[in-house]
Amino acid sequence: MSEHQAPAPSEPVGLYVHVPFCQAKCRYCGFYSEPIDRHDPHRMVRALARELDLYRHVESVRTAYIGGGSPTALAPSLLVGLAKTISALWPNLDEFTVECNPGQVRQDVLDRLREAGVNRLSIGAQSFHARELQFLGRCHGARPIAEVVGRAKVAGFENLSLDLIFAIPGSTVESWRHSLESAIALDVQHISTYALTFEADTPLEQARQAGQLEAVDEQTDRRMYETAMERLQEAGFDQYEVSNFARPGLACQHNLGYWLNRPFIGIGPSAASYWRGRRTLNAADIHEYVAAMETGRDAIVEIVVPTEIDRVCETAVLNLRMRDGIHLERFARDTGHDALGTFAEPIRLHQGLGLIRVDAGAVRLTAEALPIADSVLCDFASLDTVPSPRFV
Amino acid sequence: MDTRFIRNFSIIAHIDHGKSTLADRMLELTGTITARQAKDQFLDSMDLERERGITIKASAVTMHYDYEGRTYTLNLIDTPGHVDFHYEVSRALAACEGAVLVVDATQGVQAQTVANAYLATETGCEILGVINKVDLPAAQPDLVAEEMEHVFGIHKQDCFHISAKTGLGVKDLLDAVCRLLPPPLDRTGEPTTALIFDSLSDEYRGVICYVRVFSGALKLRQKIRFMGAGHTYQVTELGKFMPDMRPVDELGTGDVGYVIANIRNLGDVTVGDTITDDAHPADSLIKGYKPPMQMVFSDFYPGTETDFPKLRAAFEKLALNDASFSFAPQNSPALGFGFRCGFLGLLHMEIVQERLEREGDVDVVQTAPTVSYEILLKNGSVKRIDSPSELPDLSGVAELREPFVRLEVITPTDCIGGVMKLAEAKRSRLIKTDYLNPTRVIMEYKAPLAEIVYDFYDQIKGISHGYATMDYEFTAFEKSDLVKIDILVNHAAVDALALIVHRGTAEARGRRLIVKLKQTIPRHQFEIPLQVAIGGKIIARESIKPFRKDVTAKLYGGDVTRKMKLLKKQKEGKKRMKSIGSVQIPQEAFMSILDTGE
Repeated sequence: MSEHQAPAPSEPVGLYVHVPFCQAKCRYCGFYSEPIDRHDPHRMVRALARELDLYRHVESVRTAYIGGGSPTALAPSLLVGLAKTISALWPNLDEFTVECNPGQVRQDVLDRLREAGVNRLSIGAQSFHARELQFLGRCHGARPIAEVVGRAKVAGFENLSLDLIFAIPGSTVESWRHSLESAIALDVQHISTYALTFEADTPLEQARQAGQLEAVDEQTDRRMYETAMERLQEAGFDQYEVSNFARPGLACQHNLGYWLNRPFIGIGPSAASYWRGRRTLNAADIHEYVAAMETGRDAIVEIVVPTEIDRVCETAVLNLRMRDGIHLERFARDTGHDALGTFAEPIRLHQGLGLIRVDAGAVRLTAEALPIADSVLCDFASLDTVPSPRFV
Repeated sequence: MDTRFIRNFSIIAHIDHGKSTLADRMLELTGTITARQAKDQFLDSMDLERERGITIKASAVTMHYDYEGRTYTLNLIDTPGHVDFHYEVSRALAACEGAVLVVDATQGVQAQTVANAYLATETGCEILGVINKVDLPAAQPDLVAEEMEHVFGIHKQDCFHISAKTGLGVKDLLDAVCRLLPPPLDRTGEPTTALIFDSLSDEYRGVICYVRVFSGALKLRQKIRFMGAGHTYQVTELGKFMPDMRPVDELGTGDVGYVIANIRNLGDVTVGDTITDDAHPADSLIKGYKPPMQMVFSDFYPGTETDFPKLRAAFEKLALNDASFSFAPQNSPALGFGFRCGFLGLLHMEIVQERLEREGDVDVVQTAPTVSYEILLKNGSVKRIDSPSELPDLSGVAELREPFVRLEVITPTDCIGGVMKLAEAKRSRLIKTDYLNPTRVIMEYKAPLAEIVYDFYDQIKGISHGYATMDYEFTAFEKSDLVKIDILVNHAAVDALALIVHRGTAEARGRRLIVKLKQTIPRHQFEIPLQVAIGGKIIARESIKPFRKDVTAKLYGGDVTRKMKLLKKQKEGKKRMKSIGSVQIPQEAFMSILDTGE
């Protein structure tokens, strides 16, 4: 393995743990999960602990994130136990997030998670309209969102995030504005706003293909996105990525690691890792995963080793999703290449169209480019020529 | 060899009337190849020809056949059947004394049959009439025989009824070739003359010339002269096609074969040229062959400019085996460096296009084909242009001329109305109508080439449910009321989208064109205005609205590999287009010009 592929000792590493259970699957969700009542969650959590243990020597883990699925579908003792396992292995995490579903968390669970070292909650609010929530297949209404936020504060959490979805069929700019206002009113530190994506093989996508529902038109989708950007900015949130907004200094450190193209370790069925220069995927199958862990094997079913050019392009594309863009010095340090030279052609093209700005040692998307970011990023996704060495 | 026992002949036929099948049967019957060796349609050697079921290039084969106690040498020279390849037919016929005219018993005489039969008569060939596929249930040999009598003057009772597929009647036909077709004139003692009727380039041996010796003889190591070009060479190999190349020491009067003489470039050999002995040259060249005329032009540009040398190499390779195709460097303000290519017709262009795609390994953007125009300048000089962008400032132009053709359409009588309506819309003038029989008619028109070169044949086929056929031949450039339409994309005129049209249809054509462009140019990050200008005045506009939303909502660690793949694909899609300013124009857009909309 070449030197650049191994993470430098000081390079922060992210840890993601996938809990593959839900009470009921949401119609839009493309992540791997199974109904919890048909499986043995104890065995699963033991398997997760085994896989975690394989990485105990990795001292540079700085952030952890328990997601899913629905982590809060687990019995409180199991979830808290999982959190404790992680805290025991890495006692000095900068950020430790757990995803929670409104309506699934009691006060005492939140208290115990906080005690176990969790310092951030990502709450799957999605919408503040009962009809939209129902459309999405969520099993909670609007009220439990406020309740869980209240309880989290009581438990001492000072870093809360809400996920919201816009462009839900049947929604309007007005209904979206209401959801935004409701989220702002809850006085959280972080809000993610995602345009509804019709993922392959989801019930929602099948319904769309069958003509049973119509996606929100592009124009409205864009207005909703722009509404979010304007309104959240007014409310004191900084947009730091295409879909993410945070109070100053409270951007999600774990997710920033993805966009900086740093290594991360994925634990659990279907989890992805970017570790020692390889992108791997665990089996998206509970039985296969548990069996592998219990017999001391790994559960990897896919290994992709990005080439040097892949790495350069991935870093550029991921960096550009952040409002801080490609920081030229950091990019050169991380990839060994000069971004301005390597991507001279797409930079020139999109600069001319007012979609890219180069200043203060960085290449960034302009605000105008954000709603159509993919049409810009695609030009950074591959190279027709060899990359330029750093600072020629 | 005694010229009395040599027969040089071609088979001429409409596409699919069974020419190649008949050739295969003859090769088998003469033992030239065995049935087992016979790949179907032996003479069609290029893959493309085999796939399209048509012959592009002439080729030749020598057969031996016993008739009435004598062994005859039969040289069969193959001809293409498509309208674009008239000149290939004419050069094949120029090497022959006879022609076997094949007509499908289920289809009757077709326009190309007529055109090729006229060519044969003009070249002085004796014609044997053959009605093929008589074994099919739908065959109407008697009706077809009547047509042949009417059109070609071949007596009904003189027609041969055969089935090339089953072999029925083919032996009788071979007998007739020996009995009825004339032998070559015996000019053995005269100075050497040999007609080059085809040539191709071989990687190892250089240029191979296909020849027919008319007088004297060609000998190994002979010093020869190409009379037209004036070059001299020494013969290093002579041979016959048996059907594989078999070396001989001499090709005598009447013989057909090949000559190799250390010629490196195909460009040094002109098909139709005469080879003579350098020391004892003949007085004059052999006549009877029409030079090729490129009638359709189109520009080819590499997808990316760095591919220009690759494209040049690909064209050079194609030109090695196709002397009737031309290419010259071209610089378009909109599309950059590329090549202007000339073709015999649209089918010829499509064939070159396909070969380029198959063999060239280079992404190309091609502009819509155009015909050439002639311009009479006020200073009295005449200029030929083969691209609308070359049209000079009209203040210096006295007259614009476009090419006209003599067009022949053979159609069932119940489609006459439809054909006439279409021809009228295409500015064509009816010259005469002639009934082949009570149900079929041959109509002759004077038509502007530009109107019929693109999709006219398809439309004729549509009107007649596939029954009508057509053929055309260039006659002359004539004055016409023409204007140039400019298309502006994002406020910049795109030379590759300009076209020259008749004033009467200009505005409608322009409007249709931008509507089509609006459908073919994908939405961009910004609005793109499309405008039509005639003589500098904007007469119509459309606009392509920008896309409003194109961003992945969630992109986290696990999404990277899949998302990068999708983004790469999105970029690849752009690559297949041509950038003009900041607008990406796909290949189809350049072809929108061809949509004449009728």
